[in-house]
Amino acid sequence: MQGMRRFLKRWCPMRSLAALKMLLHDRSTTAGSVLGVVAIVFLVGQQLSVLFGLFNYMSVLVDHSGADIWVCTQNIQNINGAGFMPVRYVDRISGLPDVEWVEPLVFGSASFRTREGQYQPVQVVGLRNPRQACGPWRFYQGAQDALFDYEGITLDRLDLNVLGSPQMNHFYEIGDIRTKVLGITQSIRGFAGTLVFTNMVKAKEILKTPAGRCKAILIKVKPDTDISAMIGVLQKMFPRNEVLTTADLSRRTRAYYIKNTGIGGSFGFSTLIGALVGIIIIMLTMYTSVLNRTKEFAVLRALGARKIDILIVVASQSLIIAAIGIFIGFLFLALFLAGTLDSVLPSYMPTWILFYHAGFTLIMAMLGSILAMRRAIKIEPATVFR
Amino acid sequence: MSEAILKLEGIARDFYDGRELRRVLKKTDLEIYPAEFTVIAGPSGSGKTTLMTIIGLVLQPSEGTIYIGDKKVAAYSDTELANLRMRNFGFVFQQAELIPALSVVENLLIAAGVQGGSISSVLREKSLALLEGFGLKQYSHVKAQKLSTGQKQRVAIGRSLINDPKVLLCDEPTSALDSESSTIVLDTLKRLSKDSSRGVVMVTHDPRVFPYADRLIKLEDGGITYDSRNSTEGGTQ
Ligand SMILES: Nc1ncnc2c1ncn2[C@@H]1O[C@H](COP(=O)(O)OP(=O)(O)O)[C@@H](O)[C@H]1O
Ligand SMILES: [Mg+2]
Repeated sequence: MQGMRRFLKRWCPMRSLAALKMLLHDRSTTAGSVLGVVAIVFLVGQQLSVLFGLFNYMSVLVDHSGADIWVCTQNIQNINGAGFMPVRYVDRISGLPDVEWVEPLVFGSASFRTREGQYQPVQVVGLRNPRQACGPWRFYQGAQDALFDYEGITLDRLDLNVLGSPQMNHFYEIGDIRTKVLGITQSIRGFAGTLVFTNMVKAKEILKTPAGRCKAILIKVKPDTDISAMIGVLQKMFPRNEVLTTADLSRRTRAYYIKNTGIGGSFGFSTLIGALVGIIIIMLTMYTSVLNRTKEFAVLRALGARKIDILIVVASQSLIIAAIGIFIGFLFLALFLAGTLDSVLPSYMPTWILFYHAGFTLIMAMLGSILAMRRAIKIEPATVFR
Repeated sequence: MSEAILKLEGIARDFYDGRELRRVLKKTDLEIYPAEFTVIAGPSGSGKTTLMTIIGLVLQPSEGTIYIGDKKVAAYSDTELANLRMRNFGFVFQQAELIPALSVVENLLIAAGVQGGSISSVLREKSLALLEGFGLKQYSHVKAQKLSTGQKQRVAIGRSLINDPKVLLCDEPTSALDSESSTIVLDTLKRLSKDSSRGVVMVTHDPRVFPYADRLIKLEDGGITYDSRNSTEGGTQ
């Protein structure tokens, strides 16, 4: 404490020190402004995390495919809208140099029959070689071996309730086909419903896929291969199909859902509301605190403070408030994210967005204090004599 | 006789009161001299504060010219006026108007650091010495709001001195004090006015202050009606 004091005395100019001390003096007003910043960080951050959580669901299969390149039907807008294409393309592609592996993929909707005889929609994913392409990547029970069993399927832990609490090693019907639960995945969910992984043969049986057809072909290239050149070669080979990178397909899929489901608008709106609530709190509290300090600012002006000095005092106050608020807000946000991890509520926060979010909040906090700043620099030194 | 530190030439000020423009301060010529305790006296509403704030470059006159030394103060920007205030004037108000969030010594230092920049140890010692002179050294690190009204006003005088002003401007500094504290404050101001490089101007409506004055100016209805400097009898009634 003593050291801190000495440090402030030596390095903190009196003007900024006064700004800080004024804040500490009016704790309740300061707390109000900090609350505004916390509201922005938390409300906006929480919305963003749910949005990013949903983004992940939208393109979950693509993002975790392990492939570099996808061959799909023409004009694909969204992976779930893929049409059928010949499986024999797989053999033609595997003949190319630089190809590490090629795998076909089938997927589609089907009905899962619960123990009580109800039907629940599921997304069935059929894999030929789950260790290479699109294999489920996090298990709660069981392992990828489940997909080598003739009837084996996996369900996700988060969906067990909806599916009537199915149990390991028990038999259930999907699309009238008998299957056996041999694995429970951990937090692998799709946007269009529960993801059920199984082997290629069983999936085609359930989904009634026409013979010799699949929904997409996934390609992994050898290290140091020029992917765009490879895409060019493949596009020439299959002019009536679409060849694109995993990242492209992921982006297209997300964009499709954002545009066509209204999710973008809805999240945009609630994010805006969160930011607005925060900025209004900041505005009111900062403005009030300047009004309460009118006499003090007038005294400073009479003592020789220029308008810029008053501006610096109020601006440093909002910076301090923003810094404290951002710190507390991110603590809350971290608690929220930790609490919703592995829960049915989708939430995910990419690290890069945190920096933007902090910057955005800082800008909002400064915008919120513009009115207060304008008021403060208009205070006339003569006020102190009245 | 020494040179005037400050000169007002034809200074006047109008205010809107409701719907008409009213001349609150009539055309006034005035010179302020160093090493003098100048008391401007007048009833409430006579324009004392108006005159004093114009002298202190806090309020703009409607007409007339102000000279500091022999430099004309003309059409200055807000920033230049602030710089001039900081360099030339010390203010003591009716209430002490200390910053409650700051300690006693910080209330002195803020007057020196109000334009930013760090505080030198010389300044720090100077402010402690000032407080010691007012018998307030033991309160240096106490929050300003903890002091009594009289002590606060002495801190305010200390604050007004930290930048070595040429003129100390005091607007009824004793009106909020009990008689004991006001005697201390008046003695202090009187002592400060002995400095050959500094003039002290005090505005008051309290006749008990008159005996302290080296020079007494009377203001009525916005006009100077008496100035002991121009009268042969000196500063009595
Ligand atoms: N900002 C202002 N606007 C309008 N009228 C003012 C203003 N300041 C002072 N006045 C008027 O000028 C007159 C003189 O005021 P002031 O200089 O404060 O007198 P004093 O200090 O002698 O009591 C008063 O009638 C007052 O109402
Ligand atoms: Mg007055």
